[in-house]
Amino acid sequence: MSKINRCKVRMYRAGTGDCFLLKFYAGRARKFTMMIDGGVWQGSEEYLRPFAENIMEACDGKLDLLVITHEHRDHVLMFDRCKSTFKDLEINQLWFGWTEEDGDKDVEEWKEKFGDKKKALHLAAMAVSDRLADGSMQMSLAGNYMENAMYDARFQFSEVLNGFSDLHVSGGVYKGALKGMEVIKNQLNVKSIRYCKQGEIIRNLNNLEGIHFYVLGPPNVYEQVKKEHGKAGESYDHNKDIEDNELFSLAILRNKNGPLEDHLLPFDREFLVENDKLQKETLEVPNTENVYNAVGQEWRKIDYNWLFSAGNLALRMNSLTNNLSLALAIEFEESGKVMLFPGDAEFGSWESWHKIKWPVPDLTTEKLLNRTVFYKVAHHLSHNGTAASLGLEMMTHEDLVAMATLDFSNISNGWKSTMPNRQIIKELLKRTKGRLILVSEDEIFYDFNQQETLESQIKKAQQRMNDKEKLEFEKDLDKPKPTKLTRGGQTFEKELYFEYSVDGRK
Amino acid sequence: MKNINNPRKPAFRKLRAYAFDPSLSLKIDTVEVNEMEYTLPWEKLEKGPIGSYIEVIDYDPTLDRYYEPVDLDEPYILVENGIRPSESNPKFHQQMVYAVAMTTIKNFEKALGRKVIWSTRLLSDPQKYEEYVHKLRIYPHALRASNAYYSPHKKAILFGYFQSRANAADIHMPDAIVFTCLSHDIIAHEVTHAILDGIFRHYNEPTNPDVLAFHEAFADIVALFQHFTFPEVLKHQIAKTRGNLENQNLLGQLAQEFGSAIGGYGSLRDAIGKVNPVTKQWEATKPNPEDYQKTMEPHHRGSILVAAIFEAFLTIYKKRVADLLRIATGGTGILPEGELHPDLVNRMAKEASKAAKHVMNMCIRALDYCPPVDITFGDYLRAIITADMDLIKNDDHEYRLAFIDAFRKRGIYPTGIKTLSIDSLKQKELDIKFNDREGSNDLVKSNIDINENTKNYLSILNGYLQEYGEEIKYITDREEIYRTTTKFIRGNYDNPTQLIEGLHQRWAITIEEPGTEALSEMTGLAFHPGFENLGIKTDDNFYFPQFSIQNLRLISRVGPDGNLLNQVVFSIFQKSGVYIQENGQVGHFVPDIDVQPNNGFIIYGGCTLLFDLDENSLKYIISKPILDVEKYTLEGHYIIDEERVRAQYRYQFDEGMEQRSLYNKYFGIGLNNNFSEPFAMLHNH
Repeated sequence: MSKINRCKVRMYRAGTGDCFLLKFYAGRARKFTMMIDGGVWQGSEEYLRPFAENIMEACDGKLDLLVITHEHRDHVLMFDRCKSTFKDLEINQLWFGWTEEDGDKDVEEWKEKFGDKKKALHLAAMAVSDRLADGSMQMSLAGNYMENAMYDARFQFSEVLNGFSDLHVSGGVYKGALKGMEVIKNQLNVKSIRYCKQGEIIRNLNNLEGIHFYVLGPPNVYEQVKKEHGKAGESYDHNKDIEDNELFSLAILRNKNGPLEDHLLPFDREFLVENDKLQKETLEVPNTENVYNAVGQEWRKIDYNWLFSAGNLALRMNSLTNNLSLALAIEFEESGKVMLFPGDAEFGSWESWHKIKWPVPDLTTEKLLNRTVFYKVAHHLSHNGTAASLGLEMMTHEDLVAMATLDFSNISNGWKSTMPNRQIIKELLKRTKGRLILVSEDEIFYDFNQQETLESQIKKAQQRMNDKEKLEFEKDLDKPKPTKLTRGGQTFEKELYFEYSVDGRK
Repeated sequence: MKNINNPRKPAFRKLRAYAFDPSLSLKIDTVEVNEMEYTLPWEKLEKGPIGSYIEVIDYDPTLDRYYEPVDLDEPYILVENGIRPSESNPKFHQQMVYAVAMTTIKNFEKALGRKVIWSTRLLSDPQKYEEYVHKLRIYPHALRASNAYYSPHKKAILFGYFQSRANAADIHMPDAIVFTCLSHDIIAHEVTHAILDGIFRHYNEPTNPDVLAFHEAFADIVALFQHFTFPEVLKHQIAKTRGNLENQNLLGQLAQEFGSAIGGYGSLRDAIGKVNPVTKQWEATKPNPEDYQKTMEPHHRGSILVAAIFEAFLTIYKKRVADLLRIATGGTGILPEGELHPDLVNRMAKEASKAAKHVMNMCIRALDYCPPVDITFGDYLRAIITADMDLIKNDDHEYRLAFIDAFRKRGIYPTGIKTLSIDSLKQKELDIKFNDREGSNDLVKSNIDINENTKNYLSILNGYLQEYGEEIKYITDREEIYRTTTKFIRGNYDNPTQLIEGLHQRWAITIEEPGTEALSEMTGLAFHPGFENLGIKTDDNFYFPQFSIQNLRLISRVGPDGNLLNQVVFSIFQKSGVYIQENGQVGHFVPDIDVQPNNGFIIYGGCTLLFDLDENSLKYIISKPILDVEKYTLEGHYIIDEERVRAQYRYQFDEGMEQRSLYNKYFGIGLNNNFSEPFAMLHNH
């Protein structure tokens, strides 16, 4: 049987979010079809159906392998929205990171804690929205200089916070894992599931001779947590640790109608002023309470300010989940060329890849990065999505091409200010000679004062390719005819995907 | 037995508290120095404590509950000098924030020679404009986060508490709750933010990479040196010295150990030194001028300033103890084996504490000599040198050189200085002297070329400020100081029989006359016809550029030789709307009138004028010009200071944007908005 030496990578363009279809070829014959994630930040079934139908058509209703990198909505939403389209999809193998394995005791325990935090984040986001909706936030700012600007800033905060929360929670109330993830686990037609562990090499899949999968991430969380501690000269591992938000979560999750339980209090109960007539015969109001509630002093109250700590929780949750991404390096045996699909792995994960001892003589992660010719940019070009010295700077191959799933027309609030990261863009443009393919370049600027479009920067960088490279890049990049789409009652046309053909030969 | 029912009020109140934070009480070698007594001036307190400067309100919004407020006048508490330090008693927390906050306030008042007044609350109603704030509010348990911050719009400090996953199991109990309100350095740091906001409101606005870094560094410098003024604390560390006494690493190490590792606080001391991974010994970091060029994140940038000041302190300290060392070692510098003589330890600790006090005073005093907007580290160095030279004529310990040297090593230079020497760093004295006698045009003697009109008006202005100095000198009540000062700035137009023309109006008249261009040149602000083409708003009533006057204050200081310093200082502000056009030229819009272009922003100009009451002169004008003064001098026409515009643009639209914290990037809106809680953002990581 002949070995695989080409892979066509199809990046779907529904919006910000990952949805990739990979078709592997030996010569001209397609041997193996694989899908990595099926997500987008948002979209109705009506809008997403053409994308799902295209996937079904391209794989003939049969996937040899589906990889789900992590549970964020922008990686799984399509399975929820388009479940009727995917109803008949046959999936031979489904891969997750080890953290998705239900039933494992350690995993379960950790997931419960993690779930509590997700719930807390969701409740905090709702609490902030409520304070905006009932006018109490506006009241507390009334009379201040610039009160409107201050209100707007809080409104913006709420939007962003809810955006983070929505990554984990669909619909009104938190019920556990995301719906998309549930559909994948329970409703899809899957033959076998594999939970990948860091450091594994997976070879010789049926019909996929000559392709090796290196599992780079997720890292073993337990070990990593241990290692993060004990740094000299630092007493608290502040904020890096989700546990630092423990007290915050406890307060958010408490039942406000029930009694105040001991574990919620930072002090012994005797120090509480209990305005509870059952417990105290006289209702003594301390002067501090009078000062706090004094008329005309409402602007000094701090009733809701503590809720803004939810921002920290959101960031930690986001990074943590991103770091749980199943990150794969896919190698062509013939040439040693590598395609890198890191999900949304952030720095912590990248760092851990370099500690892997591969069961192959002389192999290091650095070498895999050196041989990378295709890079799916992690976390939509955000600041910490791609490690610098331990990541991008090791991608030295002259054929490097990158795809990034960023689209300003369909993106979470708050992401626009962090994506794309200018330094990463600059570095990528340099290393790929402009062969950087985005879901959409529209409305994205290269600089903060919005003078220079990203599109023009990419064009500029492409001048650095020589004629042969230009010709090949043009030949290998396929853009289909635009398809009619409907979103929010509006009909428009665009290309459903961009497809780049990775040459795995020597 | 007289007066038994009406005994004399005590002069002091002593309160026990941690010298650092509770974690050090668990380490056996530091437990003895971690509890100390803070000596505060006596004041009447209500439960809370609520005094005249601060009100501690222990409301916990995360549970919607109040904790019992402490009554520091309770007899049992009084006789024991306060409640025993304890993490588990919120009343002690209240006591500690009160003690440290008041200590910080008093240190400022001593150094500044005037009362601390909190920044006023700005109102949405332009008629009322602002509101006096009596007390800084302190919420010891306001957040469940490893964060604490000063909120400029609530005039309050919010302290957080959180559960620590201790990585150093020998110090912290696992899952123990850490209270940020129990750390001396965090409290002092946040109170300093509040005091600084009361002096320079505009220092909250990041117009260049140094501004927020300065706010952070300055707050940390005060916290650090306040710590070092407690000799008990230093004794312990100095007694550990063995061998070479020249090796002063112990103090640097101490500075870092006491810095809190919570949030961004610890990182402010990162540039002082670190433990060498090979030798396991603590070493001072060699300064690298490149750091100041490249580091933009406020804490890391601020740490460069902290390290510079700390090095100046060490140089001063070494000089002060040089003779002691010679005596103790017979001139060899090498100590005999064994423990140091306790007398020597005492003397050295005293010298260190004295040096710390001096350095802290120098750093605080310098504030009055800083430009009111857009400060850089270089401006600050100039302010330190100028303030010190004004008060202390004889610098026999060469403090100033120590500062200059430490800044130079870090590549921090003020702009517009040709050489780095004491004389060039000191602000140029204007030497505009006024005669005491009124009524003629020779009122002003000056070596500067100013015409008769200007002289005349300046002289009237000087007289008015003398009047202000006389009136304010005897007022001790802070609110009264505020009201009188406001009256002098705004005037009193309500009562026609007692009409007082305010400083604002007087200044306007001064520069309205033709031939007063010299003043525009000196202040660098636009007070010439045609100002409206420079993005400056016209006054609502007259054809006159808008400006504001703030921070009118009297400074009375006593130098070490018994010399007195009486100065009146005030600041003038002006703002201009600017944007960079596509061809790279600077364009203008008028703030509050024109629509702000997409990449438009506001640039502030400002200057601080310092009148010496005793010398009867206008001594300095410390300016951040809005005009390109040089261009005017050379070519005779006014344009905006493009260099400043471009620098601010570069920072706010490029360099600064990438350096924001993660939290700010996601949740903040640009560099300037920051949720109106700039410090909440800064301390979030």
